[in-house]
Amino acid sequence: MRSARRFNLNGMVINAAALVLVLSYALPYVYLLMTSIKPAADVQQIPPSFFPVVISFENFRDVLQSSILPRAFASSLMVAVLTTILSLAVAVPAAYVATHYRRRITTLFLLFALVTRMVPSVSLGVPLFQLLKSLGLLDTVPGLVLAHTSAAVPLALLLMAAFFEGVPKDLEEAARMDGCTRFQAFLKVILPIMTGGIAVTALFTFITSWNEFLYALLLTSEATKTAPIVIAEYNSVYGLAWGAMTAAAVLYSLPVIIVTLALQKQIVGGLTFGAVKG
Amino acid sequence: MSGEDRFVLCMLAPALAILGLLVAYPVGLLVFDSFFKVDTITPHIREWIGLKNYIDALTSKRVAESAFRTIQYSIFALFFEFTFGFCAALLFTALPGKSRWHRTIFTLPLMVPPIVAGLLWRFLLVGNIGILNYGLVHLGVISDPDAIAWLSDEDIVIYSVSFADIWLTTSFVALVSYAGLTNIPKDLLEAARIDGANAFQRFWHVTLPLMRPVIAVVVIVRGVDAAKTFDLIWIQTQGGPNHASEVFSMNIYQRMMRFGDLGEASASGTLFLIVMMVLAAAAYWKIWRPVHA
Repeated sequence: MRSARRFNLNGMVINAAALVLVLSYALPYVYLLMTSIKPAADVQQIPPSFFPVVISFENFRDVLQSSILPRAFASSLMVAVLTTILSLAVAVPAAYVATHYRRRITTLFLLFALVTRMVPSVSLGVPLFQLLKSLGLLDTVPGLVLAHTSAAVPLALLLMAAFFEGVPKDLEEAARMDGCTRFQAFLKVILPIMTGGIAVTALFTFITSWNEFLYALLLTSEATKTAPIVIAEYNSVYGLAWGAMTAAAVLYSLPVIIVTLALQKQIVGGLTFGAVKG
Repeated sequence: MSGEDRFVLCMLAPALAILGLLVAYPVGLLVFDSFFKVDTITPHIREWIGLKNYIDALTSKRVAESAFRTIQYSIFALFFEFTFGFCAALLFTALPGKSRWHRTIFTLPLMVPPIVAGLLWRFLLVGNIGILNYGLVHLGVISDPDAIAWLSDEDIVIYSVSFADIWLTTSFVALVSYAGLTNIPKDLLEAARIDGANAFQRFWHVTLPLMRPVIAVVVIVRGVDAAKTFDLIWIQTQGGPNHASEVFSMNIYQRMMRFGDLGEASASGTLFLIVMMVLAAAAYWKIWRPVHA
């Protein structure tokens, strides 16, 4: 009896601690949401209030009606989609042979992908600027896609390698017995069962590109400016337009949050998987 | 070449080409450019000057200061991310019943784009409208909401800008640690309990040694990322006030974009790359290997 009671008390303390911890981490983002639905004039009131007194969507209307932000969203979306397609197209076959046909070149290859993760983006950004400039690709969608792909391919490779490791080698041997070529076995037997892993990897690649800031800052100026650059510019161009800025930030982050929450189980699995492997 | 070899090469070739073109070649270009004096604003200057860029970078006070700040920032951020994240993971494993909801909410910051996190924390910390100081006044920690100028005090700004980093990535540490903790065989902990080990002894002699590879991964991945940080700090302070939050990557960016000094930026970029590789390798050997030895 006594020990059961003590256990409950322990449980309550742990529960309360976990609740406080979780709430304190959610609070800043909730404050961002609250601020975005305040009238623009109330955003900078002193002292600040956590909850809005009046709910207004004028911040959202302002940013959506501006000519800049919707264009930047379109630019971000296009770059992220193309980066995802390109990265997966090269990373999926490579990750497959790297895990199922082990030899020196594939091991070296995975090691190279791992090392690439350590390269500071600014170190890569400086020569990429030169490279794209000489190719005439500065401030173009293809140029930005190439830059984002340099960061996305290693990530996609490591994630896909982790997923492929879970696929038994027999499957492919069975397909070979049935008269498939190696490539047909990959295409018709392996790929269909990997759709889950490919989807998670695609989402990760997409988010990486969608969030990317430094390359966009270095490599774009007017034509292809992406969303994070425009949001950062609310600072200077409109002189601290906090209301608009919070609305833009919510619009920019909410789709990713919703999709991630919807696919939470797979994503968290993929993320920890990728991190532990990577 | 056997059919199998040909298949492997065909499947590998596109990825090799992309990584070669977009990573290996640029890194080569970076190292090559670091031996030239290049001016991108008046583009006709390009002359071989050997190691002069490196000597300039290594003797420049501003470069040294930004490098030191990067270390301050990374250690501070990593320490708190790790402590909070690891404690959160321990808490989640100790929770009676499932901790699914806690973990779901806790992953929220993980999905927030860094630029939004930086912006949000700037908004929380900024002078006179920053709600954090009002919260501290309410709790009686400080007496006046202007008492701490988080982002404009040169002495503390490099630590203040890391709050966003800590907020953003504690959940990453927590999730990876949680996965590691749930992989520890229950009977090992049970055996230690039967042998009379108390909770702390079980943690110290069983959990911690088994968590070593996970800790290594977290420290390497997060340490490298913290040292690379650009966007989070850029949106909060742009390196100010008076360069007090200018980290190494920002210093390189400034020299490249503002002063058009490609050669010096390349030399610093190369040095940065080398240091990161050495540190990651050292961390890998030091923390990870003893388990396998």
